[in-house]
Amino acid sequence: MLNTLIEAFRLISTWEVIVAMLAASVYGLVIGSLPGLSATMATALLVPVTFYLSPIAAIATIVAASSMAIFSGDIPGALLRIPGTPASAAYADEAYAMTLKGEAELALGAGVWFSAVGGIAGTVSLMALAPPLAEIALSFSTFEYFWLAFLGLMCATLVARSSPVKAIAGMFIGLLVSCIGIENPGGVPRFTFGLTDLFGGIEPIPALVGVFAVAQVMRAMLTPEPPPIPRRKFGSIMAGQWALTKKYHWQMTRGNIIGIIIGVLPGAGADMAAWVSYAMSKRFSKEPKKFGTGHVEGLVEAGASNNASIASGWVPSLLFGIPGDTIAAIAIGVLYMKGLNPGPTLFTEKASSMYAIYLMFIIANILMIPLGIAMIRLAAYVLRAPRSTVMPVIMLCCAVGSFAIGNNMFGVVTVATFGIIGYVMEANGYPVAAMVLGIVMGTMVEQAFVTSLIKSDGSILPFFERPVAAILAAMAIGALLWPVLVWIWRKMKPVAVARAASSS
Amino acid sequence: MRLPDSVTGSFLVVLGAAAAYGGWLLPPVPGQPVGPNVFPLVIGSGLALCGLAIVFGIGHSFEEEEELVPVEEGQAKAAPPPGRFYGLRALLPPALLLFYVIAAERLGFIITAALIVYATSTALGARWKLALPLAALAPIGIHLIFGKLLRVPLPAGLLPMPW
Repeated sequence: MLNTLIEAFRLISTWEVIVAMLAASVYGLVIGSLPGLSATMATALLVPVTFYLSPIAAIATIVAASSMAIFSGDIPGALLRIPGTPASAAYADEAYAMTLKGEAELALGAGVWFSAVGGIAGTVSLMALAPPLAEIALSFSTFEYFWLAFLGLMCATLVARSSPVKAIAGMFIGLLVSCIGIENPGGVPRFTFGLTDLFGGIEPIPALVGVFAVAQVMRAMLTPEPPPIPRRKFGSIMAGQWALTKKYHWQMTRGNIIGIIIGVLPGAGADMAAWVSYAMSKRFSKEPKKFGTGHVEGLVEAGASNNASIASGWVPSLLFGIPGDTIAAIAIGVLYMKGLNPGPTLFTEKASSMYAIYLMFIIANILMIPLGIAMIRLAAYVLRAPRSTVMPVIMLCCAVGSFAIGNNMFGVVTVATFGIIGYVMEANGYPVAAMVLGIVMGTMVEQAFVTSLIKSDGSILPFFERPVAAILAAMAIGALLWPVLVWIWRKMKPVAVARAASSS
Repeated sequence: MRLPDSVTGSFLVVLGAAAAYGGWLLPPVPGQPVGPNVFPLVIGSGLALCGLAIVFGIGHSFEEEEELVPVEEGQAKAAPPPGRFYGLRALLPPALLLFYVIAAERLGFIITAALIVYATSTALGARWKLALPLAALAPIGIHLIFGKLLRVPLPAGLLPMPW
């Protein structure tokens, strides 16, 4: 244990890792603070760069950039009422109301401080949850993996804030995309239409860049430019944060726990965590009337929550290759690329790399405080960069980055295609996160499904025979039926109300 | 690009059916009960069913409720843009990427990238005073990072960089 820890320290104390981490932190802070550029997009655009780094440095960039971007989304939320990332949307109104009351420092300071605390809490959960779960997961057979993957996909559709049918459809589209290529049980070209470029299948990373980055540039073409930020002087940013921590320690802890749980659930990430925690804070607050008028309580809880979910989202990713959120989906792609294939054995065979990941999360969250304060002070300058200079650079990064992944022009075609697909899906209420999950998990789902079917000789029964498989199956089927039950309940309620009214 | 649910739903039905049929046509692996054909069959059928459900408006009630959740300010309340072909502007980014695929080999990275930057920047409302210097500098910067630092073999074309 101690040896592994020392080994982990040695792994991260190289110049490459340190420089990569600092650069990625600054990058994450800037991208996260620009309205319309999300944390997921920041991470997706980083992947081509990580391609050329050592495994640990590659993961360091992802960890640092995603943590920073989730926090810095709070900055334009508080100053402009425009959330920098969707994860800050839940409380942007509240933070802006505080700015109007002249409490911008308190709002932004709470963003930095409780983000850092949340991130560390999430890391602790990752350290505490992952190894024991890995022990259990070692005894899993393909049946368990199939149900686990199925459950993961169903969760993603349940938490999507849109019609569950459309979410399931999105997931199926993703799975269908993963069918393309010759990497299938028969090794035959499937859905390649005779194109040799499609033989290798659709790479998840260009698809993700397309869905998150190109689609965003496409949306920018049709939406008006956000207003520039007013210049202002900030007082002390961290003043009063310790008092807030003492006053709202229970809210903070609750936010951390909710964030961790939502992060672990596949497909639900920081935005969901922030929405749920903000709502929860309001529900259980002693002074719910103050919410919406510039009250810091909800900010504390939601800020603690969304950053906690970032780290805990890595739990299912590292253990099963099932992404906890869209950022983790990208991280999984990087893990595979770097030979750290997700699975329970990672924790025994590559234990030092795992400790290095924990350490990097902790360092990133500590770094967030000084860098975050600097970013808040510089925000007035960074946020002045007009969209018409940022978006073209992003376009170039999309083109070069997707080319760099395989040194292949087909990657650029993939990015363009998925940009259109992502844009059309989003515009019509189909959640793209569900599709992304389908693409990332498709090969694994199919492998588990087909291997299980071969083992069971075509019979369905063995899918439910092993105890863990049976539990997972029950949960998965429950998740599938849940929207139906809600729908029936809603249909029944007006009837019951009408009946009660008529009888009285 | 907001299409009626019946259109997107029908499209999914067709796509799902085509996938299931295409999967069904795949040759089975000899001596093995399940081959590459099973998974597309399942996925395709599922997708077609979802498409049908969407056409008939099942699950729509969930969506309407979601409209009540406050969406991002400014994004949702954008004024309806003028002009019939305004919506087509959204297709510019993917079109430029395809242009990159076609032209990069012949023109080289710097020239192609400069054209893409200029077009995107102007489309987003930049004047030539901003767009021109940006088109000159951004490709060189990106070339420095990706071509020089990360050794991505970017096409030199007509205007090779001195490094």
